[in-house]
Amino acid sequence: MAEEVRIIEDKATPIKKEWEEYARKGNWTVKGYEMVRALSGPGRIEDGEEEDFMVIYRPHGVLYRHSYGLVSKFFKGLIDKTLYGTKCPVCNTVYCPPRVHCWNPKCRVAETEWIELPLRGKVHTFSVMLFSADAFLEMLPFVLAYVQINGADTALPIQVVTAPTDIFVGQKVRIKFRENRKGDLMDIYAVPVKGQTTPEDSCLHRNNRDIEHLNRDLENTYAFLNKRFGIKKAEVERRWKAK
Amino acid sequence: MSDRRVAILGGGLYRPGRVRYDNAEEGVAMAYKNMLNDFPNLDPQDIQFVQSSYFSDHLNQQLCMAWIVQDYIGQHRKGGYRVEAGGSTPLDALLNAYFLIKSGQYDLVLVVGWEWMSEVDTATANEFIASASDTDWDFTVGGFYNGYYAALETRHMQLYGETIEDLGRIAVKNRNNAVHNPYSQWRAEHGTAYVTLDDYYKDRIIAWPYRRWDCALISEGACCLLMGSEKVAMKYSNNPMWIAGVGMGTDSMRPGDRLVDWAYHGVYKAEEKLYPKNIEKPVTPYPEMANFGFAREAVKQAYAQAGIRNPLKEIDLAELFAPYDGVELCLYEDLMFCHRGEGKTLIREGVVERGGELPCQLSGGLTAFTHPVGATSLLQTLFLYWQLAGLIRKKLGDATLQVRNAKKAITTGHGGTGCQGGVIIYSRD
Ligand SMILES: [Zn+2]
Repeated sequence: MAEEVRIIEDKATPIKKEWEEYARKGNWTVKGYEMVRALSGPGRIEDGEEEDFMVIYRPHGVLYRHSYGLVSKFFKGLIDKTLYGTKCPVCNTVYCPPRVHCWNPKCRVAETEWIELPLRGKVHTFSVMLFSADAFLEMLPFVLAYVQINGADTALPIQVVTAPTDIFVGQKVRIKFRENRKGDLMDIYAVPVKGQTTPEDSCLHRNNRDIEHLNRDLENTYAFLNKRFGIKKAEVERRWKAK
Repeated sequence: MSDRRVAILGGGLYRPGRVRYDNAEEGVAMAYKNMLNDFPNLDPQDIQFVQSSYFSDHLNQQLCMAWIVQDYIGQHRKGGYRVEAGGSTPLDALLNAYFLIKSGQYDLVLVVGWEWMSEVDTATANEFIASASDTDWDFTVGGFYNGYYAALETRHMQLYGETIEDLGRIAVKNRNNAVHNPYSQWRAEHGTAYVTLDDYYKDRIIAWPYRRWDCALISEGACCLLMGSEKVAMKYSNNPMWIAGVGMGTDSMRPGDRLVDWAYHGVYKAEEKLYPKNIEKPVTPYPEMANFGFAREAVKQAYAQAGIRNPLKEIDLAELFAPYDGVELCLYEDLMFCHRGEGKTLIREGVVERGGELPCQLSGGLTAFTHPVGATSLLQTLFLYWQLAGLIRKKLGDATLQVRNAKKAITTGHGGTGCQGGVIIYSRD
């Protein structure tokens, strides 16, 4: 018997067509070059000698086709605005990110069961991002947090949409779905539950000097956003208010 | 286990920089030539195996670059392969060469490591590096290792109370060491003036709590090491540096999973107990998202083999794989230089400073010396070799960093957010 594979929902054809153009542009052929005069040699700078180097520009554009495997239900859940986790029937561990097999050595790779999780959690830890990879630059500044969803034993990386100086470890948050969902963790974000006070021992807030420095460098980030993307500080601050 | 002893016999380097224009195989060849100068008795044909070490295929649009390198230096015909495990790559290469010799398979192995990281822009380099995180999960939110590591450090700060000032002390210490290392990128870019905490505060935050100074450099560079069994060691080297103990460990791919880390659960009870009472415990309190379980696991094996009971007293210096200043502080704890939560004390009291009881990162480390990933642990090992052989003045033209009469040293390596790594203890005798 031949194995049959059927596409039961297709949200990919337009991008496959669109990508053909990038693939053609990014086809590994040399698009330009520079001649560069620079130090050569293994030793200290003072011992180096200049040589002329030919430096080429060669692109590489790729579109991957990747299966989410047996955790597909989680990502389809994001598109359908439901947050799923899994639970091990042997040791009762609740996983979010989900695992379809329990990793507890005692459970001998037991199959877990899908459960729906509440749209609430708490910040286990965080970083305030003032720089990031290309795809995220326009979102700066943002809070990258590991959030433990209520009822789950693990933590999920989520952006918390809040003023960066308001974040703290242990903060209670609500999980929200973004308008345009595409099937990854950026489909959700977190917002702080209202009415919480920052604990005195919050590591971000212990020292006024640290907050001053963070505010100083946030200003640098706004200047960068304005220059690179024409995004104004007021627009950034609106993101944190519009929930 | 085989009782054959294995030694680092010496090595050579190609000065790392932010951008170098000699290409990777030429850089390796120059490091190899640099090494050969120290081994007048070595016939290159005596080398029996070439262990290659480089991290990323993405960075250079080239798979199997090890084949290019091995033939470029005329070391083809004999066996050779590459190992790859993110930041752990060069340490794993050293371990692999060690096992090949220890097993009796070979007596003389060349380890070559390199990385050329500036063929793409900085943001793309960070993106490629971050693709060593779980790309279905962690990568999609931020796509930047600095962020994940920063989040780990935030957790440790919250639990154990170190401050930005403590991170600053580490950053300043490493720079003020690097100015005495003429191969360091810090010195190449900033000269030889010492820096202070005030200078640190002026530096820009990129992923709180980390400033640029707290984070590993992006580098292009290469290093070669010659390793041999005791049968051949004295033939080639007057100053072999022996491998006294090794260990390896792993932890979860995604740091968020460490809150219920069943493989670690109950294994390190003393560390679990040192969890602050006022903070709600996750199911598994150690390593949690605060410490590095792989390092604790690895160092336990390494200390047992090397017979080390009191690392702070018995080890003379450390070159740690610390891509971020908070990692260095946490490793003080996980390598048992102090108890969990006391890492801050070691930096505050100067224990890890130059002239302290256990100086760490005298080379400048990954944040001030260099971090061409596939060569990093090789460069740190070469630096330790110079230390134990008393060659710092000769090799660096400045004896400031020389630890007098150094006998034992430790190095670590790891990849991911502490997903995999190892420890090597080196001994002069
Ligand atoms: Zn289970």
